[in-house]
Amino acid sequence: MKKMHLGALLVLSALFAATSAFALNPGDPLPRSETLYFNGQQWGPVVGWNPYSSNNNNALAVAQQDNARVVVFESPYVYNMLDGKQYPLLADGPFAWNAKKTEITFKIKAAAKWSDGTPVTADDVAYTWTANVKYETGAGVNSKDYIDTITAVNAKTVLVKAKLGADGKPVNPLQVISYLSSNYVIQKAWTMKLEARTGGDATKFKADPADDFVASGPYTKFFADETKVVYVRNENYWGKDKSMWGKLPAPKYLAHTIFADNNAGFAALKAGQVDVSQQFNANIQDLWLKENLPISTYLSKAPYGIGASLPTAFYNLKSPGLDQVAVRKAIAMAVDYATIISNAMTNQSATFTQVPRSLMNPTAGEQALYDKAAVKSLQWAGKDAAGANKLLDAAGIKDTNGDGWREYQGKKLSYVATCPNGWSDWQAAIEVVAAAGKTIGIEITTNYPEWSVYQTVVTNTPLPDGYDILMMWSDGAGPTQPWGRIRHLISSEFANTNNNWNGNWGGYVNPAADALIKSIPGETNAAKLKAAYTKLVQIYLTDVPSFTLMYRPQSFHAVNESVWTNFPSGDKPTNPPVPPLDLTDGYSIAGLYNLKLTK
Amino acid sequence: MNNTIKQVFRSPKFLVGFIIFSMILLTAVIYPVIVRDPPLAILGQGTFFEPGVYVSTFDTFQAKRYKLDLEDAATKRIAARLGPQERQDLKAWLVTAGVPEASIDTSDTTALMDLWVNTYDPAKSEGMTSAKRNYYERLDLSLKGILGTEGVIIATTNAETGLLEESDSFARDDFVNLNQIPVVRVLPLGTDNFGRDMLTELIAATRTSLLIGFVAGIVATSIGLILGLMAGYIGGIVDDFIMFVTNLFTVIPSFVLLILISFSIGQESRGAFTIAVVIGLTSWVWTTRAVRAQVFSLRNRDHVNLSKLSGHSIFRIMLKDILPYIASYVVMALILQISSGILAEAALSILGLGPKTTEVPTLGLMMNWAMIYSAHVTGKWWAYIPVLVDIALVSFSMNLMNTGLDQVFNPALRE
Repeated sequence: MKKMHLGALLVLSALFAATSAFALNPGDPLPRSETLYFNGQQWGPVVGWNPYSSNNNNALAVAQQDNARVVVFESPYVYNMLDGKQYPLLADGPFAWNAKKTEITFKIKAAAKWSDGTPVTADDVAYTWTANVKYETGAGVNSKDYIDTITAVNAKTVLVKAKLGADGKPVNPLQVISYLSSNYVIQKAWTMKLEARTGGDATKFKADPADDFVASGPYTKFFADETKVVYVRNENYWGKDKSMWGKLPAPKYLAHTIFADNNAGFAALKAGQVDVSQQFNANIQDLWLKENLPISTYLSKAPYGIGASLPTAFYNLKSPGLDQVAVRKAIAMAVDYATIISNAMTNQSATFTQVPRSLMNPTAGEQALYDKAAVKSLQWAGKDAAGANKLLDAAGIKDTNGDGWREYQGKKLSYVATCPNGWSDWQAAIEVVAAAGKTIGIEITTNYPEWSVYQTVVTNTPLPDGYDILMMWSDGAGPTQPWGRIRHLISSEFANTNNNWNGNWGGYVNPAADALIKSIPGETNAAKLKAAYTKLVQIYLTDVPSFTLMYRPQSFHAVNESVWTNFPSGDKPTNPPVPPLDLTDGYSIAGLYNLKLTK
Repeated sequence: MNNTIKQVFRSPKFLVGFIIFSMILLTAVIYPVIVRDPPLAILGQGTFFEPGVYVSTFDTFQAKRYKLDLEDAATKRIAARLGPQERQDLKAWLVTAGVPEASIDTSDTTALMDLWVNTYDPAKSEGMTSAKRNYYERLDLSLKGILGTEGVIIATTNAETGLLEESDSFARDDFVNLNQIPVVRVLPLGTDNFGRDMLTELIAATRTSLLIGFVAGIVATSIGLILGLMAGYIGGIVDDFIMFVTNLFTVIPSFVLLILISFSIGQESRGAFTIAVVIGLTSWVWTTRAVRAQVFSLRNRDHVNLSKLSGHSIFRIMLKDILPYIASYVVMALILQISSGILAEAALSILGLGPKTTEVPTLGLMMNWAMIYSAHVTGKWWAYIPVLVDIALVSFSMNLMNTGLDQVFNPALRE
């Protein structure tokens, strides 16, 4: 009897061992050589998987943006910030405008399939648009002023009609093409299921966690709890067809451990527990220069990445004295940008000597869009207290009572510079701005409210006391750039508005700039486009409604090559080049297909 | 009184604590008189410069040159760039490039470098990780001219033609005398993440932290003393009420209270003094209870009763007949409160709830910034170890003084 039991037990345990060796259960330890680990994207546990919701807190799965995250869901095209092109993903070949430039037609790839095996159709694209508009999702709200309809011509052909202005021309063709690479295609059948479940209620529709989602991307849900999120490769992914990638992405699992803070993530990167890091890691170069770790960044030398966005200090134009151009320009001229870049950003930004200030990011494409010689006399390099003092003296803004501080209309010039608490590189930058005030007789103190307070204050009008110079972001790289960034920085449509998440937080109004911004999207003549951009840069550098403090990459991108190698590298680019966006955003997804195991 | 002080200084524990504390205090007072730099001035363009002597390169070129014939100069130069690890790495690359392992002698520098210069080609690093490829490119660059004997030419741009013209040159056996170089900056503890001189900042921060400690200690001890005296001596309903409040505060952990108050004050009004007062206001509880207990045992003593019969006021009795008997205890409590006030500020600042950032340096804020810029992960020890040691020394010396006093005044512990 006893022997029997023992035998049965042995057989059972052998069986158990055999099954567990072949099929990995969610939550089991992952095989290191099949898993690509991330940090810096997911903070806190996943809320849901609903592509219509903007509240999933599901960093790797749902992010519809200029460089859409196409790991789980896919868009028709993907944007490549390095060459500025939109590459077809679900779409078959490039899209085509009609002769009058009012409609776009594109096809869906024959091979494209959903995870349930059914084909992706033009009808899915059309129905996604209908649902986006009907339920007022982020994608719908952002595009409904520019796109009139999206319909299916036949099973595989999509027709996008732009909204037309009074002149019969599209309101904004840039926003129309941007939709194609920024937003997902979601399955019609599944959307209808979601609608039936939520009874047509927009709030419920967007709040559904959507655990039963159907998607077309190479990865799908595997495991998620409060410690990590794991995505598993769909072995039947349509993209292995020759018309797309011709193979499956290299890692079987994508995993993101939820770290307590930046330092925990940084330590994990050092230890080789993270392969791709999307964090600001101060002094990252020490990891290879001093510690000889197998860690590298997109560029092997400073600034280590491609600067794409321009963190900016906005002037509250209603603060006494800041309505004066001389004061605004003087402060901007006195700031020591070299110190901001070397100390706050630990050199992970191009300097203003390398890339003189304009409205463009440092990428070659944007830099070519304006006439450098025409704005040279307006650009300033910083730390120019003498020049700033001269400017203020000439404007008659002087220290009249001898207390060391300048007065304007009898009132001492005294400002508070601010940014959210705990945003370390921004705080350090604001400290440098404040230090510049002393050198030109303008008192600048600093203040760091919590982000929860800061965000509500700066996105509404009027700005209260203590918000004279405030730091916020600007757009990065995308199909509408640099136009979109310029619009957000200086267009009067955002001045003095409430719930303003777009920009121009200082309330700058200039009709000449508005007219230029309005003219650019419809402009096809390259010379006229360049002239308009140059004029805008001239206006911006003359009026100084805000000033750029540093260049910042679209995403931070550092990799540890102890397990995987052949990551995108700016020193040895592929053709077409894969952008350093963590292998998840826009065209950088192509990097997943190039990965190899380190020998 | 004199006798008591003599007795106190005879306690070795008190003496050691007192000496350490006085030295810290003296440094904090004297150093700013000698080094007059503002503690928050940003000197370094870059973060976390290592401790050391920084000599101006420009001035080095300009300074008078001396010829020194040092035999080991070349060896030292080679060793600095081509250590045992680098030699092994060169060998590893050469082997992958197809050089037979037996023909590589890592101990023969000339032969190894010859082989390297003739074989190395970045294009042959194919198949290596980017990190490795970059490493070999850097290594190759750093080894350029390592075996040569030629000097370096200094050229300046001609303003008119824009061409480079040789203006100076120097040889490998040229030396300068450090004493003759006008611009030298000693950074004994390097710089912090803002590029500030750590030592100057640390000493200024010690001053601020001590000040915070004193204010917090005096506030906490005064409140504790007054409430304790009243509760213990007057008794009755006053005692009940004070004890009710005290018990309430005992139940709520004082650090949580401290966090809540600091947070609600807001960053704007959170100066060093405000923080000190807040710390004081949340840490008086144990002093109150202890003083009350002491006063209880004193209030029925004969001399107190006599004083009462003589019609002295309550205030006078508390001040003249009770306070002197618990004075030693109060001093010890004060010392402990000061030390815990300093620790509380450090703890608050690490949480980002300390005094308004970078208006004044405090020990806690220095730790906070070092942590934000990952000094502990990247091994920049000078950015936080000196701060830790400083905090530890301050509280250690105060606790030592306290134990020393206890030994003198507490009859149970007297030897």
